[in-house]
Amino acid sequence: MTPGHASPGRRPVIAGLGLTDVGKFFGRSAAQLAAEAARLAVADAGLELAEVDGLLVSAGVTRGVNLSLHRDLGLTDLALLSEMQAFGATAGAMVAHASMAITSGTAKAVLCVFGDDPLKEGRSASAAYGPRRTPSGWRGLLTSAGISGANPLYALAARRHMQRFGTTTEQLGHIAVAQRKWAAMNPAAQMKDPITLADHEASRWVAEPFRLLDCCLVSNGGAAVLVTSAERAEDLRQPAVPVLGWGQSHPGHLQRHHDDFGLVTGAVRSGRAAMGMAGITVQDVDVVELYDCYTYTVLVSLEDYGFCGKGEGGAFAASGALGPGGTLRLNTGGGQLSGFYLWGMTPLHEAVLQARGQAGERQSPEHEVVLVSGNGGVLDHHATLVLGGAA
Amino acid sequence: MSLGPVSRNDETAAFFDGTARGELLLRTCPSGHWSEPEAACCTTCGVTDLSWSASKGTGRVVSWSAVHGRPRDDGSADRRVIAVVELDEGPWWWTALQDVEQPSEGLRVQVAFTVPAEDSETVPYFVPA
Ligand SMILES: [Zn+2]
Repeated sequence: MTPGHASPGRRPVIAGLGLTDVGKFFGRSAAQLAAEAARLAVADAGLELAEVDGLLVSAGVTRGVNLSLHRDLGLTDLALLSEMQAFGATAGAMVAHASMAITSGTAKAVLCVFGDDPLKEGRSASAAYGPRRTPSGWRGLLTSAGISGANPLYALAARRHMQRFGTTTEQLGHIAVAQRKWAAMNPAAQMKDPITLADHEASRWVAEPFRLLDCCLVSNGGAAVLVTSAERAEDLRQPAVPVLGWGQSHPGHLQRHHDDFGLVTGAVRSGRAAMGMAGITVQDVDVVELYDCYTYTVLVSLEDYGFCGKGEGGAFAASGALGPGGTLRLNTGGGQLSGFYLWGMTPLHEAVLQARGQAGERQSPEHEVVLVSGNGGVLDHHATLVLGGAA
Repeated sequence: MSLGPVSRNDETAAFFDGTARGELLLRTCPSGHWSEPEAACCTTCGVTDLSWSASKGTGRVVSWSAVHGRPRDDGSADRRVIAVVELDEGPWWWTALQDVEQPSEGLRVQVAFTVPAEDSETVPYFVPA
């Protein structure tokens, strides 16, 4: 082995995948869901929990998961342990961090775990992501104006795209309809009943130009992946999914003058970095799992990753390219709009299934290259992963 | 639809002193760059010795939305227009927009002030100029 270079055996792979129940159910805390997901991922890999020497933890909106997860899992003498937070980009950032730990030899088997429980018995779903205390300070000023939670902030971004490029609400509707078709083939999806463009148009306004069917679900649940080396994964239970590339971008213009607001996002840089590391171009991508907190997020991400030209996302979405039978296999589990909303774990989970060839009825016949996106804040944080087909 | 109450904290005390006087305060640096009131350093040159300076309170709509409340039993729901306003000094301001139902990009607007509740600070919002 050459000093300073990772040995070939240290190529990072995803070897385990865990997903708890997802959706509207009560009685299990975010921490319990995270621990359950972690154990599922380890069992899925066919590994002993004692062999895990790295743990990365991500809490959702309820902030209910933290470093003490290692105690709940009985993990001792860890070589790597940290909480990570880049909002919707956290899942991708965790896998990147774990991959670097594997490549460098810092750790041999790293769990990346997420858990959240925003849905509480007797409380509306919107309350989970809404204001919780008397508004004060800068955030209070926003709340005072009617700007609380992510809906209005993303709506302002989407409106700008519509103003500049002529994007329409009907074009956004095509994304919602296409993803619902995929969700119908996903046993884990929360919303499986087919919808039409008319249903989209008839759904109630949330924050113009967004209607209810432009917005993601709210879900309780936990998800985890186990990252290890290709060498260690050889005799494990599941086909190993290589992590070929990763990238992040944090533009840093949070609620300040930014001429690209709503028009161009950090996915451009994040995608370029990840695809560059993987040595691929967008033409090589077989399956795309994009963070889809809103239909608009899908649309602008498609443009920024280069699946269509800037400003052409609306026409692309309406062209029939999306959905089962379309030319681009996008958000094949129904995504966060129709599947379930576990932040960046939603696209990552589906990406691993597709890369392994285990997505059942909705499996893409080609799955050599899978692109996964994460997006957090209000287009403030981006993480991209390129996964390879399982060996 | 009226605005909601807001209280001050250490970061916003000077700002709300300004709104009480009918001023929308922004931050300025020694080189004369304008930053949004939240800025901890100049968004143009990065220096930290910022002063408070009053905006003219005029600008244009960069983007807008209307936030809808949950429908009541009779089907009606609150609708509040919000906007990103580019102030003529340069900074952008996320705000409530009143007296216009369907604004358009570029609409000229100006600041107004209200005290939404007895125990609230004075809150800025915008109306067509
Ligand atoms: Zn300056």
